[in-house]
Amino acid sequence: MCVRCHKGGGCLIPHRQRAGRPCGQWTGLGPLVDPAAVSPAMAEATAIRGGTARIGGPFARLGAWLAQERVFRWIPFVLVEGTFILVIIVPFVLTVYISLLRWRANRPFEQATLSGFRNYEQVLTDWGFWESLGRTFYFAGFAVAFELVIGFVLAMLVHRVRRGKRVYITIFLIPMMVVPVVAGYNFSMIYLDSGPLNQLLAPIVEAFGINPRIRWLSDPLAAQWAIILADVWQWTSLTFLIFLSGFSALPPQLIDAARVMGASRRQIFFWVELPLLKPAIVIAIVIRSMEALKLFDPVVLLTFGGPGTSTQTVAYYLWEQVWQFNKFSFGAAASVLLLIMFSVLIFTGIWLLMRQRAEVERKPVS
Amino acid sequence: MSRPGERRFRARAVIVRHAILIAWAAIVMFPIFWMLQTSFKDSGEWVSWPPHWLPHDPTLKNYAQIFTFDVSEAGVAREATEQPFNIWGSLADSVIICTISSLVALIMGAFLAYAISRFNVGGSKFRHMVLLVRMIPPIVVAIPLLMYYAIMVPYASEAVFGARISLFDTRTGMSLLYLTITLPFVIWMMLSFIDEVPYSLEHAARIMGAGRIYTLWKIVLPLVASGMVVTFLFVFILNWAEFLLALTLTHPEVSTLPVLLNKFQSASEGRLYGPQAAIGTVITIPVVILGVLIQKHLVKGFSFGMIRR
Repeated sequence: MCVRCHKGGGCLIPHRQRAGRPCGQWTGLGPLVDPAAVSPAMAEATAIRGGTARIGGPFARLGAWLAQERVFRWIPFVLVEGTFILVIIVPFVLTVYISLLRWRANRPFEQATLSGFRNYEQVLTDWGFWESLGRTFYFAGFAVAFELVIGFVLAMLVHRVRRGKRVYITIFLIPMMVVPVVAGYNFSMIYLDSGPLNQLLAPIVEAFGINPRIRWLSDPLAAQWAIILADVWQWTSLTFLIFLSGFSALPPQLIDAARVMGASRRQIFFWVELPLLKPAIVIAIVIRSMEALKLFDPVVLLTFGGPGTSTQTVAYYLWEQVWQFNKFSFGAAASVLLLIMFSVLIFTGIWLLMRQRAEVERKPVS
Repeated sequence: MSRPGERRFRARAVIVRHAILIAWAAIVMFPIFWMLQTSFKDSGEWVSWPPHWLPHDPTLKNYAQIFTFDVSEAGVAREATEQPFNIWGSLADSVIICTISSLVALIMGAFLAYAISRFNVGGSKFRHMVLLVRMIPPIVVAIPLLMYYAIMVPYASEAVFGARISLFDTRTGMSLLYLTITLPFVIWMMLSFIDEVPYSLEHAARIMGAGRIYTLWKIVLPLVASGMVVTFLFVFILNWAEFLLALTLTHPEVSTLPVLLNKFQSASEGRLYGPQAAIGTVITIPVVILGVLIQKHLVKGFSFGMIRR
């Protein structure tokens, strides 16, 4: 049943339902009236004309054929899906095959021999792989947590600000536009042993009698946090953006109503605003966690995975295995395994987004 | 409302609010400021202690160096001299790859978004499933794609067309790849714009006898045009910034700007901080300008259709 018009169908305006087709009988942009329902003669006439096809040159006829609903609606779908299959699916099938081979890139591909699941065994028993995977989650966890909190607070403050709102928004969104590689470079300048960070900290550090020219990126823990902070700097702008669009979509009449009924600011925040912001929070968490697990660019620019292996994320680790050590079939096996592990997360994320959307569609706000 | 002290509390709250916001604005701007001022420093000043917050004698040397490839004077890292180092080439590569892939992605994605929005093509879950492609970590795709581009496509094309076509290290290959990975974003953003165009408008046009294509062209397109511009620019920025895949799939011939910046970096030898800063500025400025232009619309595009407005 249609949730909007409370009819099982038959209304002329096809409301889109939560699932399935629009409720209107006139679904696509097809003929408004079923010709057969009018008269057999009209049905015959329509059939002769061939739907919308008009007499004309080959181009006109091609255009008419393309404009038919059954053709028109599938063209973009087929094109897009075709691209996905060509560029994502086929290479991936190839990878599964390569992961079963014994092959290094410095030998010709023809000489590779099948090796069964040896590569998978190698990956699963490789300590470096598991360590880098764990590190990726550690980076992503802290980075996303900071980004969410800071982004939320900033969006809340900016939403309440009266003067200079546009200026703040413009400035806060800039890091998102900065190319991640450049951001990595910028932070490598800041963390330099003769960089501005050390200069700012110098009075405090010197009081303890330490040389202020600290090499931040040479210490494992400091290097890890350097990368997390660079990530926070760059991507807080995204969470800020999502929360800001959430805040500006809040219906003011609900908040006014709560105020009239005597709710305090704190009550309004926790009981009115926060529940309404839940979709934005879910979106921010899902999108940012997915992106944070891909962390690669700042690692290359800041530390090359070092010192030792202390900042190798899983992306960097695999990249190094394949391009430094030419272990192609090892890399292929690791990619397959990684995709299997991540697909659980990915599907959870998509499921969360879908559920959120379903919830929003169900309750008409404002 | 009029409790005593309330007003003073309000005033103090405003001050605190602005203080926090200004502090964050300073944090946000600082790295960019530092890059800008480094790009005007001469080599002696790059790593001086204590660091100079403004170049003592500003110079355009770094820019002159990167645009005339005269990096040898500053003692360029060995790798950078061995590889053809050419910022004009990279600039052309970046602009061509990003423009073509974003445009094609926009056209394909907008049509698909229309089809999803109006005909529910692919079922009700399709609009979410499209995001799957975006969520796959690029490193997982990078290794397969390298083998696909470098081995499988040449083999297959030789068997089918008789000519060896390689997508590895070509602009075509990069464009095709960027097109694919940004399509999900295009579809998502366009969906949120197209969903807002009232169906009754199209309905009315169709009743009055307009053809399908004519309706699309005259009714729908003008209404979503601004959304399409925003989507295009956003996707362009995404492609412009992409690093991992470009690093993997291009080596000697094609190199996008982020890859070029990385070439100036070697663990063994000294880094060219000045030219790097200059390249960083060249990469960043156009994108930030684009970003500021579309900033107003981004807030809308990023609601991802989840928040009803």
